[in-house]
Amino acid sequence: MYVRTVPPTDLNRNTEWFTYPGVWTTYLSILFISWLLVLSLFNCSSGMAWTLVHLSHFFVTYHFFHWKKGTPFADDQGIYNGLTWWEQIDNGKQLTRNRKFLTVVPVVLYLIASHTTDYQNPMLFFNTLAVFVLVVAKFPNMHKVRIFGINADH
Amino acid sequence: MISIPYLTALTTYFSYGLLFVFGQIRDFFRKIIDWWSANNLQGYAPICLGLEDFYIRRLYLRIQDCFGRPISSAPDAWFDVVERFSNDSNKTLKRTNKVSRCLNLGSYNYLGFAASDEYCTPRVIESLKKYSPSTCSSRVDGGTLMVHNELEECVARFVGKPAAIVFGMGYVTNSAILPVLMRKGSLIISDSLNHNSIVNGARGSGATIRVFQHNTPSHLEEVLREQIAEGQPRTHRPWKKIMVIVEGIYSMEGELCKFPEVIAICKKYKAYIYLDEAHSIGAVGKTGRGVCELLEVDTADVDIMMGTFTKSFGSCGGYIAGSKELIQYLKYTCPAHLYATSISPPAAEQIISAIKVILGEDGSSRGAQKLARIRENSNFFRSELQKMGFEVLGDNDSPVMPIMLYNPAKIPAFSRECLRQNVAVVTVAFPATPLLLARARICISASHTKEDLIKALGVISRVGDLVGIKYFPAEPRKQMEEEERMKLE
Repeated sequence: MYVRTVPPTDLNRNTEWFTYPGVWTTYLSILFISWLLVLSLFNCSSGMAWTLVHLSHFFVTYHFFHWKKGTPFADDQGIYNGLTWWEQIDNGKQLTRNRKFLTVVPVVLYLIASHTTDYQNPMLFFNTLAVFVLVVAKFPNMHKVRIFGINADH
Repeated sequence: MISIPYLTALTTYFSYGLLFVFGQIRDFFRKIIDWWSANNLQGYAPICLGLEDFYIRRLYLRIQDCFGRPISSAPDAWFDVVERFSNDSNKTLKRTNKVSRCLNLGSYNYLGFAASDEYCTPRVIESLKKYSPSTCSSRVDGGTLMVHNELEECVARFVGKPAAIVFGMGYVTNSAILPVLMRKGSLIISDSLNHNSIVNGARGSGATIRVFQHNTPSHLEEVLREQIAEGQPRTHRPWKKIMVIVEGIYSMEGELCKFPEVIAICKKYKAYIYLDEAHSIGAVGKTGRGVCELLEVDTADVDIMMGTFTKSFGSCGGYIAGSKELIQYLKYTCPAHLYATSISPPAAEQIISAIKVILGEDGSSRGAQKLARIRENSNFFRSELQKMGFEVLGDNDSPVMPIMLYNPAKIPAFSRECLRQNVAVVTVAFPATPLLLARARICISASHTKEDLIKALGVISRVGDLVGIKYFPAEPRKQMEEEERMKLE
């Protein structure tokens, strides 16, 4: 099964890999495989496993999409040094397909996690907090906003 | 258009993700360990901001032995590669005294002028004795010799333009000319896969840059229409100049530019066109005059033709060819002409002799033979690789053929295994190419004989089976089956 790809017009090498076919499937399959791993390693209920996956997904994506700024290589001479990965994708254009997909995934994970734990209390609180922070960070109005100066440039 | 098998795309993302995760874990522990050890910065800021050299430290250094291999002979069809070893898993590499004789599939030696040539080398040595290796001065001070004027006339005649200007370095030709021609208020539209020298020159010029999808004239037209209608950013005044920059052969894809359509669009919208023929001058076309001859475009339609002498002419430096007024203007504004040392006289003599050989003015037909040989070699090699099932990019007649590898682990596997079997190939990965599309790039030369190519095909086929890069089904060998049937009968 072959897919065809055209080189995109995005010059930012840090984010251009996200426009190729197969990324969404890889992302979802990593989430699913990590759920299976957690379930087999920790001997917990499937609801707890989804909660663990949801919370670790929150930590990982918050750190890499909304905290770390810049690019992992030096040849773009630091043009993107003040922007997080989320602010760099699609050249800063808001509400593209990729951004909508990445906003929907934490919400769907939240629904699965809260449904499988039957909306019980300690897990529900953490799950809700996680999805609230992630979705607010992805709003178009939050582009380049640094609340209280947290994570601003020096 | 590149076709990737879907499973390969998924596994490539997964491999890069795994490499990234390992790199982050090692960085995390390194930060903890460094926090305990003494900090010897003495109040200065660190050279690299935390994340900037992540790719080099954690991904590139692991396979560093596949890049930057030193050689100890001229880069002819066969050359000597110095062997290296490492004691600390590739962080530092040490040279040994041993060399291995390998088949050279990586040098841009399109017409075979890289090693000593019977017509060019005696003339170059004579010029070295007469003029010394360097003029030690810029063109305007004391660095213009007879050989420079002769070279400029020769290049202008070869390329088919009224006048030409020559510089000592190919990269500088692009990055110093674009800031002179385009300033703030102009628009540069460049192909998305243009070389770094063009990107650098465009960024340094201060003009607005827009990018169009690689080799897609319809997208170029769309971008042109949108930009002309909008005008300059914020003031919306009309643009002072619009220039479209394309290359003749794209060195990472091996494909030719769709030049006639691009010229038609530029004429319609009155934009200037800048053609960078670094890889195509001397290598394509019936008499070696480049992409204009191959695609039958009149050279008077192209405003600025640029090229380098490093690929087909076996020398160094670059040229710009255009109308007499343009070259006159460049001669008193371009900083590479006013301040940089002029091209070395023996190098200039090599280019003049090489052009004479190509045009047949040395009295023999070696030039025509070389051109025919490189065309045959490229077409033969490409068709054989495609029959074996490799995914090879590039058009027919182009001497550059990238073989797609995709997975990051296959890059060092392919490179090291080929070196073990005495074939030296160049592999290219992120960030020179897009993340998914890592490739091994093969450059065919006129000095490769048929036996060399057949040996290379055998080695690449065996290594391809071991590494697993035959993504397309191999074509059945119909001829062999027919012969066997006839033998049975």
